[in-house]
Amino acid sequence: MNPMKIILTIIPFVWTIGMIPFVNRVKPIVMGLPFLAFWLVSGIIVAFLCLKGIYAIDVKENNHTDV
Amino acid sequence: MSNEAMSLIVIFIFVVGVTIVGMVPGMREKMTLEQWAVGGRNFGRWLNWFIMAGEIYTAFAFLGASGWAYARGGPTFYILGYGALAYIIGYYLLPAMSPLGKKYGLMTQPDLIEHLYGSRTLGILTAVIGIAFLLPYLQLQLTGLGLIIETCSYGQITRVPAMLIAFTMVATFVYLSGLKGVASTAVVKDVVMMIAVVFFGIYLPTHYFGSVGGMFEAVEAAKPGFLALPGGTKNLDVSWVMSTLVVTSLGFYMWPHFSANSFSAKNPNVLRHNAIYLPLYQFCLLFPMLIGFTALLVLVPALKVPDMAFMTIVQQLFPGWALGLVGGAGALACMIPAADLLLSTSMLFSRNVYGRTVGQNASPDKIGKIARGMVLVLTAMALALAIFTPNMLVNLLLTGYSGVTQFFPMIFLGMFWKKATRMASYAGLIVGEVLVFSLILGKMDPLPLAGLNLNAGFVALVANVAVFVVVSLATYKEDPAREKALNQG
Repeated sequence: MNPMKIILTIIPFVWTIGMIPFVNRVKPIVMGLPFLAFWLVSGIIVAFLCLKGIYAIDVKENNHTDV
Repeated sequence: MSNEAMSLIVIFIFVVGVTIVGMVPGMREKMTLEQWAVGGRNFGRWLNWFIMAGEIYTAFAFLGASGWAYARGGPTFYILGYGALAYIIGYYLLPAMSPLGKKYGLMTQPDLIEHLYGSRTLGILTAVIGIAFLLPYLQLQLTGLGLIIETCSYGQITRVPAMLIAFTMVATFVYLSGLKGVASTAVVKDVVMMIAVVFFGIYLPTHYFGSVGGMFEAVEAAKPGFLALPGGTKNLDVSWVMSTLVVTSLGFYMWPHFSANSFSAKNPNVLRHNAIYLPLYQFCLLFPMLIGFTALLVLVPALKVPDMAFMTIVQQLFPGWALGLVGGAGALACMIPAADLLLSTSMLFSRNVYGRTVGQNASPDKIGKIARGMVLVLTAMALALAIFTPNMLVNLLLTGYSGVTQFFPMIFLGMFWKKATRMASYAGLIVGEVLVFSLILGKMDPLPLAGLNLNAGFVALVANVAVFVVVSLATYKEDPAREKALNQG
């Protein structure tokens, strides 16, 4: 498997699960959200971007065509 | 007209309207078993999107997330995390499963297991365990629907009759509609739900505290630390959230009804493409939480049933018709996922338990009849559970997750690791499920271990994976039949 794909697969898991001990706090409130909630919400965007990247690699490697 | 009559009429219009929409695909053509169960395997991008996304907006998201925010605080935020991770697993898993489904006529998760390991008994075992853990999920939907009817009638209809009404509504709907009906009505449901949660999620905190941030400042001032871990609980701490995120993200696609959803896709690229955008849908889970936190500060006296936080705050602030709109959206959020669950569970029984044991020579017609009959039996069982063993919605969901996550090594490694063996599947599955059952029934979920509080499903999964890998390595030998089974071409 493409090493870039492996990295892009791992990043969201580290962001959302691995980082919890370091983001377990209420303050600062960012974009109206307690910090823990803000961190997890930003994880959604990280996962989305990583999946986009994985998909782009797949399309490029001709594993399948775009739909 | 009185408030309760008004709100109940609005809900009634929603439910009947959607049932009719759901019946249309079934009336146009006579449905074969394959059409009823996997939509004839021709779901394109949009129908697939709605059946996949529709799974998120259930009674759990609508009432459970706000209820947990109200009662537990910070630990609720785990709900924001697992979905996006689950779609990454799904990106790899579903497109690999779907061609096998098409090539070998697989319709259910036990079909897949039976195919991967060439073992009928293992398929039957998977089906039985799947049914056992789908029941709490189904109970969750019926409980939610019962709560909605109870609140919207302003307490005129009490819990048990409300649940009986819920039971009748769901059974009728699934009986008449089939999977395509579920997918097409999921569209309506999602739009209505989205409007309801986004509107109230922003309106309520703004109305009382000026802004969402202002509301959170007020929560922090009133209850310092409530918005971090462990929030309003003693043991749902950092280690619990981390272990729960592992269980729920790996377990997401282990729900038996998701297999049917992947087998209904027209081609694997539909599944890949949708996996990218599904994470964004998770944002919407934030809004019910905002409502729950606002309710915590605003509702006096405190609620006995936290899951009613959303409905109660709307009931106190708005006239009956508005409560009816929210109740209608909520009712759909319970009914449509319940229909999907019932459909899959009844297929598990008729096709993979009955059809593989006493009914081996039964015709597809007969299997279909039994599946439809099972719809009633299963709804009745979930109803009995809901009446006699009431529990908070999120707890029900977590129990189910702990159980189905134990399928993960068997399915994921079975698809992608050549050396996975049948013996390893038996051993891992049995170890995992025995641990889940004994920990949950022994009230040891979460399990305190070395200063951590671990999700019981996580503890069981670790043991399960270890056993699976060791036994696989010990029993693996070249097996052309298994290699052929994995061939997607």
